[in-house]
Amino acid sequence: MDSQTAVNKMAGKGGSMYKKNGRGSSRAAAWLRNWQLYLLIAPVLGYFIVFHYIPMYGVQIAFKDYIASKGITGSPWVGLKHIERFFDSFYFARILWNTLGIGVYELIAGFPVPIVLALLLHEVRSSKFRRFVQTVTYAPHFLSTVVVVGMLMMFLSPVSGLVNAVIVWLGGQPVAFLTEPSWFKSIYVWSGVWQSMGWSSIIYLAALSGIDPQLHEAAKVDGAGRLKRMWHINLPGIAPTIVVLLILNIGSILGVGFEKVFLMQNSLNMEASDVIATNVYRSGILGAQYSYSAAVGLFNAVVNFVLLLTVNRIARKMGGSSLW
Amino acid sequence: MGKQKRLRKMRGKWGPLTLSLVMAAGLLSGCSGSASEGEAENKTDKLANLNETGMPIVKEPIELTFFTGKSPTNGSKFEDTLIWKTYSQMSNIQVKFNLVPFETLTEKRNLALAGDDYPDVFYSARVGSAELARYGQQGVFIPLNDLIDKYAPNFKKLMEKYPDIRKGLTMPDGNIYSLPSFYDPDLLSMLIGTPLWINQDWLKKLGMEEPQTTEEFYKYLQAVKATDLNGNGKHDEIPYSAGGVTSLIDHMKGAWGLGTSGLGHKLVDVDPGTGKLRFIKTMPQYKEVLQFISKLYKEGLIDPEIFTIEGSALNAKGQAGLLGSTVVPNPETVMGRKEFTGLGALKGPHGDQLYAHVKVPMVHVGAFAITNKDTYPEATIRWMDYFYSDEGAKLYFMGKEGETYTSDASGNLKYVDEITNNPDGLTQDQALAKYFTWLGGSYPGFVTEKYFKGSETLPNSMAAAEKAKPYAVKNILYNFNYTPEETEVMSSIGKDIEDYTAEMEAKFINGSASFDQWDGYVNNLKKMGLDQYMSVYQAAYDRYQAE
Amino acid sequence: MLETRSERITGIGIYVLLGVVTLIVLYPLFFVLIASVSNPGSVIRGEVWLWPKGFSLIGYERLFGNKELLRGFMNTVMYTVAGTALNVVMTVAGAYPLSRADFKGRHFFTFLIVFTMFFGGGMIPTYLLIKSLGLLNTFWAMIIPSAVSVWNILIMRTFFQSSIPKEVQEAAFMDGCSNIKILLKVVLPLSGPVLAVMVLFYAVGHWNAYFSALLYLSDRDLYPMQLFLREILVQNQMQEMVDISDDTLARSLMDAEAIKYAAVIVTNLPMLILYPFLQKYFVKGVMVGAIKG
Repeated sequence: MDSQTAVNKMAGKGGSMYKKNGRGSSRAAAWLRNWQLYLLIAPVLGYFIVFHYIPMYGVQIAFKDYIASKGITGSPWVGLKHIERFFDSFYFARILWNTLGIGVYELIAGFPVPIVLALLLHEVRSSKFRRFVQTVTYAPHFLSTVVVVGMLMMFLSPVSGLVNAVIVWLGGQPVAFLTEPSWFKSIYVWSGVWQSMGWSSIIYLAALSGIDPQLHEAAKVDGAGRLKRMWHINLPGIAPTIVVLLILNIGSILGVGFEKVFLMQNSLNMEASDVIATNVYRSGILGAQYSYSAAVGLFNAVVNFVLLLTVNRIARKMGGSSLW
Repeated sequence: MGKQKRLRKMRGKWGPLTLSLVMAAGLLSGCSGSASEGEAENKTDKLANLNETGMPIVKEPIELTFFTGKSPTNGSKFEDTLIWKTYSQMSNIQVKFNLVPFETLTEKRNLALAGDDYPDVFYSARVGSAELARYGQQGVFIPLNDLIDKYAPNFKKLMEKYPDIRKGLTMPDGNIYSLPSFYDPDLLSMLIGTPLWINQDWLKKLGMEEPQTTEEFYKYLQAVKATDLNGNGKHDEIPYSAGGVTSLIDHMKGAWGLGTSGLGHKLVDVDPGTGKLRFIKTMPQYKEVLQFISKLYKEGLIDPEIFTIEGSALNAKGQAGLLGSTVVPNPETVMGRKEFTGLGALKGPHGDQLYAHVKVPMVHVGAFAITNKDTYPEATIRWMDYFYSDEGAKLYFMGKEGETYTSDASGNLKYVDEITNNPDGLTQDQALAKYFTWLGGSYPGFVTEKYFKGSETLPNSMAAAEKAKPYAVKNILYNFNYTPEETEVMSSIGKDIEDYTAEMEAKFINGSASFDQWDGYVNNLKKMGLDQYMSVYQAAYDRYQAE
Repeated sequence: MLETRSERITGIGIYVLLGVVTLIVLYPLFFVLIASVSNPGSVIRGEVWLWPKGFSLIGYERLFGNKELLRGFMNTVMYTVAGTALNVVMTVAGAYPLSRADFKGRHFFTFLIVFTMFFGGGMIPTYLLIKSLGLLNTFWAMIIPSAVSVWNILIMRTFFQSSIPKEVQEAAFMDGCSNIKILLKVVLPLSGPVLAVMVLFYAVGHWNAYFSALLYLSDRDLYPMQLFLREILVQNQMQEMVDISDDTLARSLMDAEAIKYAAVIVTNLPMLILYPFLQKYFVKGVMVGAIKG
């Protein structure tokens, strides 16, 4: 069989197996046979129920005017008032656009990079070189946001920054990276890629090592070069992992984090850097705007979730792996 | 993308403060210690235990628990410090300080309040006015009006001397729910906080007099830029730098007659002629302020890094002797430079000369708040009231005579050598932290020059204040307090307005917005709901005046 | 094994590309290293680029002299070891059943746990729950509420599905092995890579954790290292937010600068060392082939 079919078979695309007792096995038998699996998953489900589902009543807060002493159930119901306030705010369009913009930019720029990195690394035969590259590329992940942003400010400073020094040396004018709105998203995204590409590639490397090397042997015999093998064996081999991660990433598109944006923001780049999280944060400074932040958070969660469902369904239709 | 980023995204999604607001709680609907049986009996017992005046405060010792904000510069066990050991013996009240570091303070405070999980008192916990209004209304904080009247003679005297305190403390429902952190209004240098400093050495070298007008200041900055004043062959002198442009705006606006009510109100002040509120940020004079500063920026007289520079970087520049002028607490202490003098009020092109950079003396409204879980409110308020007295302030800031301070013939107090020149190599701050807990600010109390030896009492700061005195803001408006409904307006429309003005200011100054857009800017503000904003402001002002 | 010319060019191309990437990533890291031994003032003024300036070990001295920080370090080690152990066990317990095509209800269960990634009650109901379970201010508050992550369950499930051949499991089944035995004797031994990844991910998560500590712990003796570090490092922001001119804070800003880079290096070194150890588990392709054969 050629490598493609072999990979397909490995990826479990060949249809379901384990039809031990024939097609007509009763449901009860199916439950019984795998009782150990149910037992195994029970504590995990238990954890989710206790720590995630039990507190979920708190979601209501988005629709109420919360009064601490009355509790949630006692607080008055105001329906969509907070959501409306969010939609009506002067900057609504801007923050939505910024959040979405950053999210999409991150996806397009940042998603493929770790994959490519993993594929390349996998090809390296010298284990010393490979280890060196891996350790260097995944080290930035550990730097705290405060330190990373601090360094960014230093390197990109219009006065004393390294980057501008090089630009001036090459005969150009210094660029106000930190205060020009048009630069914000790029700096945010690419510094993020720099920081996480090595780390994110780890999953793909692990998945790559799960590919049967015999496939490669067979392909080499067939005369396939390195790039061809990467394309036809490695990539499809980690396709399930890629798809799952892609789905999860799309499902968090509106989840642009607070801390890094907050540290990088200033009055001059605000029009490109103000995202939902930072905007709501400023509303909350005066104090006690619980219901409002909860409402905005809920809006975010709903949008993300809908995206996730949609992408998941598409992935399933395309006949590959999906979340469920 | 790894789990880390994911988790951080989810949790850090809204950041500390906002996350703390994305919650729901209060399973327990107001079940806070009010068992009615024998309540009347309890009360008489407690009052019998209380000494209405003098020390100790209670006959039989009692214990109180305080939710306490902790500055990174303070030590980790308040009970072990000299002042608290001394005071607990004196008062017979054992206080347990549950320390919460300042940078986690807001989350923890929100959790405590909303989750009904708080102790007897919030001490130095920066409770905001909106929280006081809201939770006071809900009964979490108890009204202190009567308690102050009966059991807090020192604070009562203070309120009588400075009636604005009462105005600033009274919440919309008419109650006072907290005791403040209060700076002596006569200690002007404290209220100024961060004067506009000018490099005296460079003035001399340039043969210039200390600027008295905005025009002279401008000329000075130009001269600094053009001359190699530090003699290193490079034109690296920075005429003006600071942590953002706001401090310069706050200083300069006085030269155009704006900011007549002090720094407690950044967007609004009172028109001296009509006595009405006016929105500063759209006035033509304000446009001139921005034009002036933008001229400075365009000519390279302002540090291009001013919009992004961090405090420590600014201090580093100062240390290296690169600054011609700046706005910081005190260049001597934060940069180690002694050649700076504070400027007085600069006269503007229309003859205005107002020193507008004056803070509200009541720096923290909610520095001390008693909750409904406190079973000894009378003793508690007596406990706090002591620190508003002369003796109490002395204990809090200076400690014990002979142990931590000495006094000279004219009655000036000074810390002992062990603190100022610690033999084990500790810095002064580290040495202080062993005995005191005032480091880092936001404590309730009354700060006067007699006992507070911070950098604002150094000769250069005091000299700057002297110069500013004749022109300093006369009618400082303290902070206003808003009802929960008003707070909603202020945190939606108000926030948007604040954001917009801050952004546009920066843009006008650095040139990315031209002044042709000024009318558009004003119109946008109207569209955002400026009128509604002003009417809420007015309502709060009316309440304030009526107090 | 013959290598064609194009293969060799591709090979060299790969090395070059990776080399360039490594250099770009490396520089800022190198910067952190030299900044940690330089005079803090010079660093902030942007005078340090290729080598240390004003050699100074003050950052390290402060770190190692800080007893609270050392205590925090020990705490973090304990949280990491205990937490990661629990995490890996729970993740396997969740991922394996979900990976089995014949596990009835798997779609429902998957949906159930994915749902929690988006919707939740928020900080305070969770806080109240933790409180009512008696976990507040205990060692376990750092372990149990974060017992397992949906993200990682899904990744592990995907790995099981795509890298462990069904035939192998089926063969074991036919041999009479129970589900648990299949898991332990067949699946896990073949799961080196993903287990290594999980250990790494969870360990690093625990190592960097501070938010749950912030919420649930009040006893400084239980604080993890990161919480102490934040106290030191986040001051810059604090000073700006608060309008108080107490300059004890202003002075301590410079200290924070000094410690910043040294702290990064010292606190992250252990994790950086962990990875190379786990790397050897990433080479497992050989085994699959052998068993298949």
